[in-house]
Amino acid sequence: MSKLLEKEKLLPWLEQLAGERVLIAPTRVEELTLFAPVKDATEIVLDYENTALSPKEWLFPSTEVLFTIARKDSTPELVEKTIAERYVIFGIRPCDAKGIAALDLPFLSEPADSLYAQRRAQTALIGMSCLKPAPQCFCAAMGSAPNDASNVDIMLTEVEEGYLVEVVTEKGQGLLEGVELKEVDIEPPPCPDTAAVPAEGITEVLTRVFNDPFWARLADRCIHCNICAYVCPTCYCFDIRDYTAKGNTERIRTWESCQSPGFTRIAGGYDPRASKESRLRQRFYHKLCYFPEQFSGPLGCSGCGRCVVHCPVNIDIREVITRAQEIGREASAASG
Amino acid sequence: MSEDFAQQIREKARELLEKGEVTCVIGYETGTDGRTARPAFIYDAADADRLVFDNTCTHNLAKYLLNKKGQPTAVVVKACDARALNLLLGEKQIKREEFFAIGVVCPGVVESGWMRQGETLQLRCQGCTEHTPPLYDFLVGEPAEEPAPEPSYEDVAEIEGMELEGRTEFWAKQFERCIRCYGCRQVCPGCFCIDCFAELLDPEWVGIRIAPPEKQMWNLIRAFHLTGRCIGCRECERVCPVNIPLSLLNRKMEKEVLRLFGFKAGMSPEALMPLATYSKEDKLGIGE
Repeated sequence: MSKLLEKEKLLPWLEQLAGERVLIAPTRVEELTLFAPVKDATEIVLDYENTALSPKEWLFPSTEVLFTIARKDSTPELVEKTIAERYVIFGIRPCDAKGIAALDLPFLSEPADSLYAQRRAQTALIGMSCLKPAPQCFCAAMGSAPNDASNVDIMLTEVEEGYLVEVVTEKGQGLLEGVELKEVDIEPPPCPDTAAVPAEGITEVLTRVFNDPFWARLADRCIHCNICAYVCPTCYCFDIRDYTAKGNTERIRTWESCQSPGFTRIAGGYDPRASKESRLRQRFYHKLCYFPEQFSGPLGCSGCGRCVVHCPVNIDIREVITRAQEIGREASAASG
Repeated sequence: MSEDFAQQIREKARELLEKGEVTCVIGYETGTDGRTARPAFIYDAADADRLVFDNTCTHNLAKYLLNKKGQPTAVVVKACDARALNLLLGEKQIKREEFFAIGVVCPGVVESGWMRQGETLQLRCQGCTEHTPPLYDFLVGEPAEEPAPEPSYEDVAEIEGMELEGRTEFWAKQFERCIRCYGCRQVCPGCFCIDCFAELLDPEWVGIRIAPPEKQMWNLIRAFHLTGRCIGCRECERVCPVNIPLSLLNRKMEKEVLRLFGFKAGMSPEALMPLATYSKEDKLGIGE
């Protein structure tokens, strides 16, 4: 037996949640689908492949104040920041939920990032299975699946009669209080395939192909914008700066990207990753080699495919993985 | 047509590489979606067969020459891309003797993206006044004979027609989506500052916040920096991941520069930029 939320009960439920928490859901802005805070559940769109930007903004905002140093009677005082709101993100795809699980590793490992930790604890995730993955999707190759419920609190799967509801966590159970679910005998639809990518063993392979000319050739094409990093659900690099106005100082954190020309430039002007090639290579090494090594865990890519679609010059991580594997094999054959 | 164009480009590329006249040919190849083009860097004559030319060759390849200083390089250019070559020559960023321009009489490119190939020509192509590159060493295709149409600024006029309040609101809404990824800057042939004002630490013109005032500041200053310099390839608009209609700003400035100075960027390498020079005849429309 499965639990079913009838179609016409979805929006009233979300409406109810919006009364208790800040509801973040896919909305349409001109032709784009974007996660945004929603007051009126009718603004939510349900016919989307995935959003143009990942939902990481709601846990790791593109800009936030970390703390303030206020001046009271000429004595400086540290004003810590706390997050009061509770959030619920509705309609998150399994790839993006896996992206959040990846963000948890750097941000929640001790010493945990207190603002991220607060938001994370106060945010519930309602996932939506993908019935028709897009051509750029490759979540299965990254260890997830279009119906992977492991990183959300509740997973919904659309069927003709409504939504099959899988309650994954206690937090998820709490969201459903007072909501009427029907016990039904409906099989969930079969899990669709996503693009195959030869990711197995890529971490080890990358340790052997660091100096291959391939990276320089790839960097020929790269224009070193930050699009891939900013649309990515797992990129978490940031910059920090202090701004003072009227005697108060704010420490600000914003997104930053390893593709920026000045990202690794240090005082005195030295830049250990000054070349385009070393910057581009870093993107793939961080996701596919350093991240799994550092956290003894999964690859730092969730296979959402946003960078594949948005890259202005078609730098395609799936092609990079495929090519790195080939180079690794050629190297083994040559030395073997 | 496109296969014939591609064939001519391949032959020229092969010849240039075989004779050692260039070390690299920058053109287009088919991307990972198997249907739309992406930039290609060909170093070996044997790889010239990878080159393609079709109506998805939207990328402006001229800027890549900045990474090839001191290395003779050939580059495939459409009409607007060749205007970017003129701009870079005029601003002393590239040397004429260091590149070979394979010009293509451009029939226009369509709206396209990864796995997405539209049927209608891009707006820039619908209003294209050139088709034949203003600069080339080798030309693919027959130069257009019919007189060039006058540039049209209908969409710009629509924004101009709004009340100040509505206009402010329109742009505030557009810029709100900006994530300061600098895709527009990185793809732009006119944006080549080593230290962009947006990232300067001292003086700090904009700051690092990705917040409404900074987003507006970034986009507006960029539009001013491109005034009289934008060559109209609209690559900024194409790459913007949040669909900000950036060319409306650039074309507003283009229209004003055309009106005040009769100047269009990138038509010749010698032309002096109106905003970088002064002539007694300059009319600024102030107090006149």
